[in-house]
Order: sequence, then structure tokens, then C-alpha cells
Amino acid sequence: MRAFLGRNVFPLTIFTIATVFLGLFFLWPVLKVFGASLLDASGRHFTLANYTSVLSNRFFLNGLTNSLGIAAAAAVCTVLIGVPFAFCLARLPIGAKAVLLALAALPLVLPSFVSAYALVLLFGRSGIVTGALRSLGIPFESIYGATGIVVVYTLTLYPYIVLPVTAAFKSIDVSVEEAAQNLGASRTRTLRTVTLPLVLPSILAGALLVFIEALENFGVPFVLAEDRPILSVEAYKLFVGETTDNPASAGVLGMLLIVCTVMALLVQRGLLARRNFATGARRAAPLIDVSPALRRVGATYCWLVVAAALVPFVAVVVISLMPFSGPVLHTGLSIGNFAQLFERGYRPLTNTLMLATLAACGATLIGVPIGYLITRHRSRLAAAIDIVATSPFAVAGTVLGIGLVMAFSSGFLILTGTWLIMVLAYMVRKLPFSVRSAGAILHQIDPSLEEASINLGVPPALTFARITVPLMLGGIVGGFVLTFVTVASELSSTIVLYSGPWTTMTVAMFQALEGTSAGVAAAAATVLIICTILPVALVYRLLRRHELSML
Amino acid sequence: MTAITIEGVARTFGTVHAVDNVSIAVRDGEFFTLLGPSGCGKTTLLRMVAGFCELDTGRILFGEQRIDTLPPHKRNTGMVFQNYAVFPNLTVGGNVAYGLRARSVPSHETRERVARTLKLVQLDGFAERWPHQLSGGQLQRVAIARAIVIEPHVLLLDEPLSNLDAKLRVEMRGEIRRLQKLLGITVLYVTHDQEEALAISDRVAVMRAGHVEQIASPREVYDRPATPFVASFVGTTNLLNGVIRAREGESAEVAVAGRTLRLNGVRGSAGDKVVLSARPEALRLLAPGEAAPPRCVTLTGTLGEVEYLGPVTRFHVTLAGGTALQLMALMPPAVSGQVTVAFDPQRVVVLGGPT
Repeated sequence: MRAFLGRNVFPLTIFTIATVFLGLFFLWPVLKVFGASLLDASGRHFTLANYTSVLSNRFFLNGLTNSLGIAAAAAVCTVLIGVPFAFCLARLPIGAKAVLLALAALPLVLPSFVSAYALVLLFGRSGIVTGALRSLGIPFESIYGATGIVVVYTLTLYPYIVLPVTAAFKSIDVSVEEAAQNLGASRTRTLRTVTLPLVLPSILAGALLVFIEALENFGVPFVLAEDRPILSVEAYKLFVGETTDNPASAGVLGMLLIVCTVMALLVQRGLLARRNFATGARRAAPLIDVSPALRRVGATYCWLVVAAALVPFVAVVVISLMPFSGPVLHTGLSIGNFAQLFERGYRPLTNTLMLATLAACGATLIGVPIGYLITRHRSRLAAAIDIVATSPFAVAGTVLGIGLVMAFSSGFLILTGTWLIMVLAYMVRKLPFSVRSAGAILHQIDPSLEEASINLGVPPALTFARITVPLMLGGIVGGFVLTFVTVASELSSTIVLYSGPWTTMTVAMFQALEGTSAGVAAAAATVLIICTILPVALVYRLLRRHELSML
Repeated sequence: MTAITIEGVARTFGTVHAVDNVSIAVRDGEFFTLLGPSGCGKTTLLRMVAGFCELDTGRILFGEQRIDTLPPHKRNTGMVFQNYAVFPNLTVGGNVAYGLRARSVPSHETRERVARTLKLVQLDGFAERWPHQLSGGQLQRVAIARAIVIEPHVLLLDEPLSNLDAKLRVEMRGEIRRLQKLLGITVLYVTHDQEEALAISDRVAVMRAGHVEQIASPREVYDRPATPFVASFVGTTNLLNGVIRAREGESAEVAVAGRTLRLNGVRGSAGDKVVLSARPEALRLLAPGEAAPPRCVTLTGTLGEVEYLGPVTRFHVTLAGGTALQLMALMPPAVSGQVTVAFDPQRVVVLGGPT
């Protein structure tokens, strides 16, 4: 045993840190939510009444079907938009592909509820486009409700399909397609019977991400759902208690969300189970020779999709620079909205920058060693840590926030109301990303480099610092920045956990939305866009596509 | 400069016996090769000596010191990896100095030893270069320099030449042998290339499915293989099934391919089945009308395919009973159809039971 310990100090240390961190700040809070859903009003006795009352309540049942229906619709729409996009990008001879891919990936780092809000500004009841259409005599309701939410999800989540599927289209061994054509299949038949089935696993993986993201998203339905019930929003309302706070029912909704995610995961696993195609392509599949007309159609399609996804963000920036009086927009140029936003100081902005920096540091410091452990030490312990470290992805931000409040508002560790609890929530939520991205980089670093270093007399921990980390550095920096920007635009756990002095930019925007100061909300949205685009632009060359695809 | 003692070492992965009770004693200063097909456990055994693979049972000693309980970074072995594993973030000089820095060697001494070792592997002047500027052969030299500069107890090489092209491979193996003799270092070398193993080793251990089939000098492994596997894996051979008819002291009469041969060194008694190994170059095709050389036995068969290989020509002959034989000859006689094959029974090796 001593020999075992002596030789495995480094992995065991990582394992211990990972276990303590995830156990305390992820598993325990989730268990708290689960526990709350099973306790009666006194908080002492076991009961299933919460479940029966929620599941017999038409309002909450509607919420469940709304959430599931919208998430499924979003998954289908992103696949319909994203797969042709990926095919054009991977296999058609169209120009400016690097730019197209960068622009297509951009919505991943931009806050999706900003896009939702832009749609309200453009197509809402008093929206610019709505007004224009009405003045032309074209009847147009508004984009509130399920349709609007699905549109926003489609425009902001389609990169989850485009990035992995583009890679899959490129990695197809072209000789398989040539074999199909050699056997007499036409090009379209080859596409249908060989190419598409080969990329199906990537499509399903992307669709699962879209489904989960859409299910847990808080900001978009908050902006667009109005009084239609959506699980993630209702859980928050029940917990924060606009009328009376009800942790038990909030817990039930949280557990329902988790169950939905797990079911989606199982369905995807089931669909993928018998479809493990490894095609050992040594070079990227070649471009398909198509007629100039078809090529133009492909290019036009790609640019239209990219533009549709980015126009809302551009619109918000433009609108934020125009003067408002209350909700009414006037033409002109003004920085009044920004002045109003920062009237009471820059605290929300500095909070966002500080919290995002701390969370990115924390997630990197914990995530990179865990990614290392999982990739390099194939053992049952590592497999267990892998599952636990990547499962925060399946837990909605609101649910995690509620759990953290339940776990750390009393007892031996009181954290509610502090900045620390927010940073911890961000770290837990972004951990799957930093773990996976570290693992992906490590897969490209030959393990014999580390063995060579150890063989030359440098102990494992020091080898990790001297050889592994320098080789991973580009990827680590990229992962750090992506964590930073996604934390900066995080709303779903922030909204549960923030307290007055720790108001962030997202909360400031959220508060402006709740009030009527449309101009302030647009200004806050613009600041958020700058906070996310600027760091990404600075390190864009360090970012690799697979990292973006894992956000 | 150390002897390596491997005693009763075993390792199981799941249900696979990767290394199955292996004992090997490598002498001080010896060039010892582990030879076998992929999956035979040779690399696992090498990694056990380096410390990258744990032992289920058994022990490993360098000289008198037991080392299998030490972590890999404390074993003082120099390892050369199949894919070189040259650190891409360090210069050539940085790579070679890496192990010396880990040992806190003073910087002036480090500089001096790095320069001396780079000269030894014919890379003087390359210290400031980056790995991505080097060719495969040069990277291999960096990897070797990095491993020998620390003056390791033993040098471990894991298929170091398999990523090089054929010509460079022959050149580098000569160089590795030259360095080993110059430094007098104990080498444990892993390869699946039998020609390479025969060319550079003092002794070879032929492995199959986790265990050692034979440990002997290259010459003995080729001329006196211990098992049918060794006979067929090292070089090519003709394996023939025979039956012992009668025995008289050391020699025995063995019935094979319709003939009865008197052979020495046969184990077993009358009625036992044996396998005979005859190398293609031990068989001769007789020209039409040529008499068989003295002591030789002749067989008749039909000539099949003839492969021209450059320096030699290979003939495929099917004997009357259906047994297929391969023969190798420098100067092919002009023959076709029915041919006569002659061989000296002294050059036939008798192996254990049938394959």
C-alpha cells in the first residue's frame, strides 16, 4: 500500500481535491434540492406530496410540456439549419471559410438573452420592425411566446451543431464515398446512404447539447415567455418567492429538469450505442466539385444564417446609442443610456470582470488537473471523477443556485450573500468545459513525453509543471478566456445567488428589463457584448474549434 | 553499468497475461534484445524495468539493488522511446540537459557534458536548434543523447528505429551498437525486427504471448532454435512433421516426408511425433543429372513458383506427399517440372512436439 501511495501521490492529490470540491459544491447542493423536494412544510418529514401536488397542477404541467417542447423544437431547428451549413463549410468550394466559421461560432460566447431582448426591441409589441410593418398595413402580432423562444435558441445555439458536424464531415474517409460511387450510387444517394449516417453521431451529440442548453436557459424565456410557464423560470420564481417562497416545489421543478436532461442523455446514448463509426481518415475529405450556381447558393445560405444570428446583437448596440424617453425610442445619437446605466457607479461592471476572472482562474486550476487525471490515468476512480466533473452540465443554473443557497445559508459554512458563492457556482458550472478542453489538448500530447521526463529523473508533479503545462499553454489560455466570457454573460445561477453589492452586468440588465428602462437594458447588453467579444478577439488564434464546440 | 535481473515477473491486463512469469538475467555491459511479434509482452517488460508498468508478481534488480519498488524517476534508467519523445518546447541542448538539471548537476558541468554527448551522437553544433527543425534521424540522435548523458545504470530502447526508413534504420543500428561498445553500457533493446535483433545483439530473448521461448546468442537462435515458434519467427524455415521410428543412444531414426533420416539430438522415444526445421538455404535444388553430395538425403517434388529476390532466388517445391518446401539459392539452376531436393541431415534441427 505504501508503495502504491508513494507512486501515486500526484493523481491521488488531484483525486482528493476534485472529490472534496465537487462533493461539497456540486453533489451536496443537488442533494439538498432533492431532499427539499421530499420534505413536508415543517422540513422534517418525508413526503411525496410535493411531487403529486406539482404534477397534478395544470400550470406546472404546462411548464413541463412547454420546456420539453421548446427544447425539442430548438434541437430540431438547429439541426435543420446547422447540418447544411456544416456541409457547405466542410465540402463545398466557397470562399472566406475561416471568417464564416469564426462568425458562426460567435453566438456561443454572446449572451443569448441579449439576442432575445434584441428581438423584443425589433419585433416586440412596440418594436421597431413591428411598428414599421403595421404602418405598412401588414398585420404582425409579436414574437412573444414559444415561437420567439425557439427562434432565439435556433439563432444562438446552432453553432453547437455546426462546429462538431463540420469536423465530422471533414474527417470522413473519402475512400468510403468513392467506394459507394464505384458501386453505382449517385452523388445524392452517396450523401444519403453513406455520408449522412457517418456524421449522425456528431449531429446527435450536438442536438443533445442544444436540448440541454435550451432546457436550462433562464434569460431567454424570462424575456420572451411572458406569463407562459417555463420550468427554469418557475423554479426561480417559486424559490425567490414573489408571493410566498416554496423551496419544496422549487425542488420538485429542479428535479424534473434534471430528470429531463438525464432522459435526453440516455436517449442519445441509446441512439448512438450501435453507431460507433471510426473512419481513419488521414487527410481532410476533399471539396466536392459543384456548379457555380450551386456554389453561390451555398455561400448565400451560409452568410444569411450568420447574418440572421448576428443582426440582433448589432441592433442592440445600435439601439443602445439612440436616445430613449422611457420605452419610446427616438432617432439620433446619444450616450445617455450608458450614463444612466453607470449613474450609480461602475460596480456591476467591475463585479462582472472580477467574478469572471476569479471563476476562470478557479475552473482552470481545478479543471486542468482533473482533465489530466481523466486522460492519463485510466482507472475506475478516474472514470468516476469524469462522470461527476462533467455532470454539472446537466444541472440547470437556477437549480444549482437554489441548491447552493439551501446548502450554505446555515450550518458550518455560511456563504449566501458573498461573492464567493457566486464564484463557486460559476466554477462548478464551467468545470465540465475546462475538464473536457484540457482532456482534448492532452490527447494531442504524446504521453511518452511525460514518461521521458520522469525517466530522466523529474518526479510526476514537477513533470506536469515543466513539460505538460507548457505544452498545453495555448489551450489553457484559450479555455481560460472562454470560461471568462461565458461566466461574464451567465444569468441563471447569478440571478439566484447575487446580493446587492455583488450585482453583475447581467443582473443590471435583468433589472432594467423588469423595469421599463429599455435604453439602460440595451446599454447593459452592449457592455456585455464588448466584455465577451473583446477577450475572444484578443486570443482568437489560440482558440481551437473543438474548444468552442465544447462550451 | 549494471546487470539486470528479472525474476519471475508477471502482469495481467484483464484476462490477458501480458507478461507471464518471465525470468531474464542480463549481464553487465551486455546488449540484450527482447524480440517478438506485437503483443508478445516485450514492451510491457521494458516498461516494467523503466517503472511505467507495475508488476503483479516477481522482482527486478539492478546489480544487487531491487528497483521494481522505486518510482520511475528514481531508477536512473535512460529510455529511448519509439516516437523519440523529444520535448518540443525545449531546444536540442535543453532536451539533452533536462535530466542533468533534474539531478542538479552544476551548470558548467552540464554545458560540458551536453556538448560532449552531442558530439558523440554527431550532433555538435545543434544545441540551439529546435526539434521541429530536425529530421527523424536527428531526433533519434537527440533522444539517444538525452538518455545517455545522465550516465544511466541501463539504457532502455523501445523499438527506436521503427519510425525511420529502411536505409537509415541500418545506419542507426550500427551507430547504437558503436555507442554501446564505446560506453560499455548495459542495453535492453526491444524490437519486432528479427534481422535487427540478430545484427546488433549479444544475446536475444525471443518472446511469445507473454513468455520467453528462448534466450541465446543470435547465432544459436537462428541455427539451433529451441521451439518451432522461434524457428519460424527468426528467419524463414520449413517445418516438417515426423515420427521417431527407433532410437540408438544419441541418434534416432525419424520418418519424414516418406524417408527415414538418422538424426542426432532427438528427444523422445519410438512412436513420438517431432517437428523438423530445415532452413531454405540448407536445401539445394539439384541440376538435371547432378549427383547428390556425400551424406545428403534427396527428395523429389514438383517445382512451383520461382521468386527472384535480387541477391537470391526463392523456389517453392511441392513434395510427392503434398508437403510444401521453400528453398533459397544464389545461382539458380535451370530446372522445371520434376526436381530433386538435396539436404544434409546435420543441418536439420529437431524440435519438440508437432506445431
